Amino acid sequence: MQGKAGYFVGKLIELIVTLLLVSLLVFAAFSIIPGDTARVMLGPDASQAQVDLLRTQLGLDKPLVVRYFSWLLGILTFNPGTSYAYNMNVGTLIAQRLPVTLGMSAIAMLMVILISYPLAVLSARKPGRLGDQICSVIGHVLFAIPPYVASLLLIMLASSVFSLLTVGTYVTPAEDFAGYVGCLLLPSFAVALPKIAMSFKFLRSSIIEQRASDYVRTSKSHGLSDLKILVRHVLPNSNVSSITIISIILSDILGGSLIVEQVFNLPGLGRLLLSAISRRDFPLLSGIVFYLAFITVLLYFLSDIAAAISDPRIRLK
Amino acid sequence: MSSANRSLKRAPGAYVFYIAGVILLGIVVAAFVVSLFWTPFDPNATNAGAKFIKPCLEHPFGTDNFGRDLLSRVMSASKYTIYISVAGVAIALILGTIAGIPAGYFGGYTDKGIMLLGNSIMCFPGILLALVAVAVFGASVTNVIWALGLVFAPTFARVCRLGTMEIKELDYITHARVMGVKPARIMTLHIFPNLVSQLLPATVIGLANMTLFESGMSYLGLGVQPPDASFGKLLSDAQAYFRVAPWLVIFPAMMLVFYILGLYFISEGLRVSLSKGGK
Repeated sequence: MQGKAGYFVGKLIELIVTLLLVSLLVFAAFSIIPGDTARVMLGPDASQAQVDLLRTQLGLDKPLVVRYFSWLLGILTFNPGTSYAYNMNVGTLIAQRLPVTLGMSAIAMLMVILISYPLAVLSARKPGRLGDQICSVIGHVLFAIPPYVASLLLIMLASSVFSLLTVGTYVTPAEDFAGYVGCLLLPSFAVALPKIAMSFKFLRSSIIEQRASDYVRTSKSHGLSDLKILVRHVLPNSNVSSITIISIILSDILGGSLIVEQVFNLPGLGRLLLSAISRRDFPLLSGIVFYLAFITVLLYFLSDIAAAISDPRIRLK
Repeated sequence: MSSANRSLKRAPGAYVFYIAGVILLGIVVAAFVVSLFWTPFDPNATNAGAKFIKPCLEHPFGTDNFGRDLLSRVMSASKYTIYISVAGVAIALILGTIAGIPAGYFGGYTDKGIMLLGNSIMCFPGILLALVAVAVFGASVTNVIWALGLVFAPTFARVCRLGTMEIKELDYITHARVMGVKPARIMTLHIFPNLVSQLLPATVIGLANMTLFESGMSYLGLGVQPPDASFGKLLSDAQAYFRVAPWLVIFPAMMLVFYILGLYFISEGLRVSLSKGGK
């Protein structure tokens, strides 16, 4: 196959194969768990007959291959089974918690783009200047602060200096959208901080590299203004690398928000994940893991497509 | 001269990063080494009469809610942070090399298969995979090390694969092949030594990233188990008391950031000196 369509179809096939492999990995991981799930659920006092009955109910007595396909079918139809601990549909449970985690990730990503882009452009204008050096040093330091530590420090700062924040109160978006965004701002900022530094660093070096290239010199000699060169030539060429970086950052942000939720006491997927872990609630756990991986794979796929659209050279490789 | 070259000249040289990195890392490593022989107090000894003492001469980092000396606890915590990151990176490095070099050397289906496995591991937000592995097999230092080692292995495999693909095209490898040297010998004796310069920065940055993960897991209570503690566990214990005793948050956080930042600076120094040497 050739051209655009061929590239996209190839990527799509890759996406499906990866997703199948991911599902296989998740299923395998939860099948090799030591211990009998039915026995764990019923406790040591239950009789063998009770355990056997539950095994049949849960479908644990069927062959592994049958279980895999029924699990896969369930998870693809957003009906991945019933949580042991909550006695609810896993899909419903996850859907309830998703607004917190996705909202936080979206806000954090916006912060990364809105802060790192302008800073990188300014810094790359005069590389090596004092402002650029200060930005770089701050960037290094921010890069080294784990998001949950940043959260702790931000909470301390907010409660002692500004005494404005009620940490741990969560408002659903249906109740009050502004309140929902408001309560996610600080946690999102904590997640975003190291990623702002990362995106800044990559974007800055990408812009510097582009500015040194021949076509910029040519444009300059043609009398184009710096701003025009930047907007028309340098930024579009830096885009490709930043799209790749952004997909990596998004996956990190998703993972980071799982922990930061815990610091801010937000009822998101992270909390659900921890409770599933502590109660050994494997249907719920495998559901969360698969859907989070699903989101990540989808993001990588979309970023590949976006990169291919903005730079045809990638398609030709 | 193009502006990129100019900026390289004006940017801080590699030695600035090395010095800063070694100082920061040195503080944490020194705390670790000293803690092996001596800590001011027993890190796990409680003292009901000495709760929440502010940092003073006797307790430079203060004491916690059980009256335990924070300096001693921070010193012993550095042990787990360093141990887990070093052991985890060692596992990731070994697995990554074993998978990455053959993938790059043989290409074809070997390459496709190995890379598919690596890519599907990388599809999970890393911390998630490590958390689940620890959840399934139980929280212990050994399990944390294995989980993190597995999660980080694909990164090293990628570096090895790309490096091998470049090196195997060189004449001396072709020569060896023509002479009838077996692939296993070519890979271990002729390719691997040449990958070291590429693996070094990846290893340093891997140590830093692994510490980020480990401390996050310990913060969630799925890493080092009490009464032992790594920096992450100290921070999660401190969270409830940050209003009364902010030093409980500040000192462990400081040491954790020193360790990670020190590693980042060293890797940055390596990057700068390698890129200068390359051009």
